[in-house]
Amino acid sequence: MIGARNVKPSTDGKRKTRNDMILAAVLLLVAAASFLLWHFSRAEGESVTVKVGGTETAVYPLSEDREVEIIGGEDNEYRNVVVIRDGKVSVSEANCPDGICVKTRSASRAGESIVCLPHKLVIEVTGEKSEPGLDMTA
Amino acid sequence: MKKVFSVLLALCLLLVPLSGCKQAGEKYNAYYFEYFDTVSIVTGYAESKEAFDAVCAEIEAELKEYHRLYTIYNGFEGVNNLKTVNAVTDGAHSEVQVDRKVIDLLLFAKEMYRETDGLVNVAMGSVLKLWHVYRNEGIDDPAAAQLPPMEKLKDAAKHTDIDKVIIDEENGTVFLADPKMSLDVGAIAKGYAVEQIARHLEEKGITGYLLNVGGNVRAVGTFGEKPWNVGIENPDKENEDVPHIEFLHLTNEAVITSGVYQRYYYVDGEKYHHIIDPETLMPGSNFMSVSVLAEDSGVGDAFSTALFLMNYEDGLKLIEETENVEAMWVMPDGEQRYSSGFKAYTYVP
Repeated sequence: MIGARNVKPSTDGKRKTRNDMILAAVLLLVAAASFLLWHFSRAEGESVTVKVGGTETAVYPLSEDREVEIIGGEDNEYRNVVVIRDGKVSVSEANCPDGICVKTRSASRAGESIVCLPHKLVIEVTGEKSEPGLDMTA
Repeated sequence: MKKVFSVLLALCLLLVPLSGCKQAGEKYNAYYFEYFDTVSIVTGYAESKEAFDAVCAEIEAELKEYHRLYTIYNGFEGVNNLKTVNAVTDGAHSEVQVDRKVIDLLLFAKEMYRETDGLVNVAMGSVLKLWHVYRNEGIDDPAAAQLPPMEKLKDAAKHTDIDKVIIDEENGTVFLADPKMSLDVGAIAKGYAVEQIARHLEEKGITGYLLNVGGNVRAVGTFGEKPWNVGIENPDKENEDVPHIEFLHLTNEAVITSGVYQRYYYVDGEKYHHIIDPETLMPGSNFMSVSVLAEDSGVGDAFSTALFLMNYEDGLKLIEETENVEAMWVMPDGEQRYSSGFKAYTYVP
């Protein structure tokens, strides 16, 4: 309260309770709404972004199990099999010479990625679920 | 009712910053596969994709130039690079006219040779070439994988005198005074190039970028107050549950890891990685990895190789004596050891 104000003592008690009730209801509503908003945005969770030669070619939710064959190269000679399972993504098969992408451990947190240098392929986990996300690995 | 509204208004105002974790810029990533035989990643905060792409175009142009000048594997028409320097070894009158960037790299290489007591030697090309050939053959045909014979390695090691790399700064020429020697700048070139590109961005007032060329990570300022989150890879690649063993907050520093897991091949079930000790001519075996935090990415790159080849005590002494570098060692049993200032940069996610 700023300054002295003359309030009516008799009716004030009643009004306060009513206003408080409204306030409480509104607060509850706001809380519920923000929770839903938060929950909704989080339910999207992390995504798996596939980039070939620097261009984004596909995005999949990390929460849905699937197996995708990625074909690239000028004559479709590059092949990598990407597996999303139990909230983790990995490369199960590839016909690249070094096989580093297959050996790379699976990625599950935002900021983690799997790279196949010979095929110019990047599998990135993106999203805000795991805080704080990683910007890079050294 | 007025009171209710004012309270509501206050509540809404309070909620705005809570929900609005997003800053004015967006985070973008760009990948390049053509340079330094590795993957380069640029992460940046920018107002728009167009603004990010413009900075990336500049970064890529620089990356391309450094790659063309420093590669020992590819020749380019009209460019005298390190492959050219290696190829011209007929003794007299074999000075090669090179770009100033090549001179600067080689001067830096000589400085790092002195700083690391010869552990980082770009004149070791003859030895590293043998390992390179045997490793590639071993990867192509694992059943027939072999180690380079010690006789051959010792023979090659006779031609690794860095004082025979003759640099003429005034005339802008380089020549190798031993016809059997060759340059291999793999231990410093990526880190050095990243540092030059980072400084180029800083001079232009560009900030909020994180550069990574094959694990040489350098931060070029942050976006707002928030530092970059950089994880250090677990050298135990078998461990699926722990991908990172440490987390760093970077603002303007570089971090580089040298590890047994980066380039390797198997001979008779035994793993042989790519960091070769100039004394034993074999891969170093003191650690699983060494990560160096440094103000200068080139110094960090050189030191990560040098520390990997030193024992822990000597390495710690070197780090404590040198300004603006810190290190973390991962011992063969997985134990992590730190220099005195390293932990000031770590965080717990």
